[in-house]
Amino acid sequence: MIRELALIDVLYLIAAMRWTLALTAIAFLGGAFFGLFIALLRIAPFAPARWLGAAYVNAVQGTPLLAWLFVFFFGLSIVGVTVSPWIAAAAAYSIYAGAFLGEIWRGCLQAIPQTQWEAGASLGLSFSAQLRYIIVPQAFRLAIPPTVGFLVQLIKNTSLAAVVGFIELTREGQLTTATTFRPFTVYLIVAALYFALCFPLTQVSRRLERRLHVAR
Amino acid sequence: MSLVELKDVVKRYGNNTVLNGVSLGVEKGEIIAIIGRSGSGKSTMLRCINGLEPIQGGSVAFDGRIVNDPATDLRELRQHVGIVFQSFNLFPHLSVEKNITLAPKVVKGMQQSEARLLAEAVLRKVGLGEKIDAFPDQLSGGQQQRVAIARSLAMQPVLMLFDEITSALDPELVGEVLKVLEEMARDGMTMILVTHEIGFARKVANRVVFMHQGKIWEQGPAAATLGNPNTLELETFLSAVLH
Repeated sequence: MIRELALIDVLYLIAAMRWTLALTAIAFLGGAFFGLFIALLRIAPFAPARWLGAAYVNAVQGTPLLAWLFVFFFGLSIVGVTVSPWIAAAAAYSIYAGAFLGEIWRGCLQAIPQTQWEAGASLGLSFSAQLRYIIVPQAFRLAIPPTVGFLVQLIKNTSLAAVVGFIELTREGQLTTATTFRPFTVYLIVAALYFALCFPLTQVSRRLERRLHVAR
Repeated sequence: MSLVELKDVVKRYGNNTVLNGVSLGVEKGEIIAIIGRSGSGKSTMLRCINGLEPIQGGSVAFDGRIVNDPATDLRELRQHVGIVFQSFNLFPHLSVEKNITLAPKVVKGMQQSEARLLAEAVLRKVGLGEKIDAFPDQLSGGQQQRVAIARSLAMQPVLMLFDEITSALDPELVGEVLKVLEEMARDGMTMILVTHEIGFARKVANRVVFMHQGKIWEQGPAAATLGNPNTLELETFLSAVLH
C-alpha cells in the first residue's frame, strides 16, 4: 500500500533516533570498557599482554563491522543460539568500538613522556599508582577531542545495524520508504537527522581541541 | 660497608657498551661529583644506583641491598634514594603542593594535613615557601628545579642523586639551585652529582670521579684531582670545560 509522506512519518523518524542514540550509548559504554582494557594491555610492562592487545586491535580493525554484526546475528543462530538484534548489535559494536577507543587511548597514554613515569617510579610509586596519579590524568585531557571525534563516527555507523533488523533511524527510513515510495525525501530527512546529532558534537570536539592547544 | 657499592658494572645498549666495568664505593655523608664528557657514562651510572637502568654485568648495592637483584623491592628502595633530573620532570597537572605530597600520601599513607606541613617545610628549605599553590608552568626553570629537589626531600631520602640538574637552566638561574645543594651538603646529606659545574664540584664535593669511555678514569679528593690531574684525558677535559 503506497500512501503519501506525512508529518507523522517524520515524527516516526525522529522517534527512531532514540534507538540510534541508545545503540550509540551501549556501543560507547561497551567500547569504553573493552577500550580501557585494551589500552592498558598495549602499554603493559609485560610483552605477551602487549601482543594480545595488538592482536585484538589488528583483528578488529582489519575486519568490517558488518562482518561482526553478521557473525553475532546470523552466525550464532546457525549454531543454535538465537540472538536478538539488540544483543547482536551491542556485542558487535562494543568489540568494534573497543578496538578503536583502545587505540586512541593507547596513543594518548603513550604521548605522556617516559620521564613522567620515571619521576613517579623514582619516588617509589607502583606502576598502577604512576598510571592513576600521573599518566592517566594527563592523558585524559589529550583523549577528549579524538574520543568525541570517534563518537561521531559511532553515531553514523550505528546505521549498519539496520541490516540485522535493528530498528533505528536508518531502518525506520527504509520502512518509511517502503510505504511511501519517496526514497529521496525520506533519506534526505534521515541524513538531516544524523547531521543534527553529529554537527554539535564535532563543534564541541573542535572547541575542546582549540582550548587544549591554548593551554599548552 | 659503603652506602653505595658498584662492582664491575657493565651496561650495554645493544652493541654499545656504555659502562665497561665500573667500581665505586660511596660512604655515608660523602659528596661525590661525577664529571666527564657527554657519552662517558656518567648519567647511566647514576641511574643504575636507583635501578632506573638495568645492568648486564657486575652488581650495584645500596645500603647492603643488591639493586640489580630481581628479588629486591625497588619501590621500597627508591623511597630512600632521591633523584633529581636535568629536565625537572615535575607533574605538570599538579600544583607544587600536590607534586610534593603525592608520594608521601600514596606511598607512605600520610594524611593530607600532615603532608601539607611537610610540603611547607621542604619548600622553605629550597626558598620557595610562597609558591606552594603555584603550578609548574608558572615557575621559572630554577624554581621548578628547586621544587623537584623539595619533592625528593619530602621522602626523607638518605641518598640524593643529581643528574646534571643545572644543565637545562639559563645561566643566571644556576646559582639559586647550586645554593640549595650547598645547604643540603651542610646538612650532611649523602649526594652523588653528575655535573658540568667544575667550580661547584671543587667547592662542595669531597671526591671527584672522572669518567671516560665507560670507565672511571681517575678519581680523588676534589681540589687535588681538579688542580693537578694525573691523566692526560682529565687534563684535556678540564682545559676544554674551563675555557
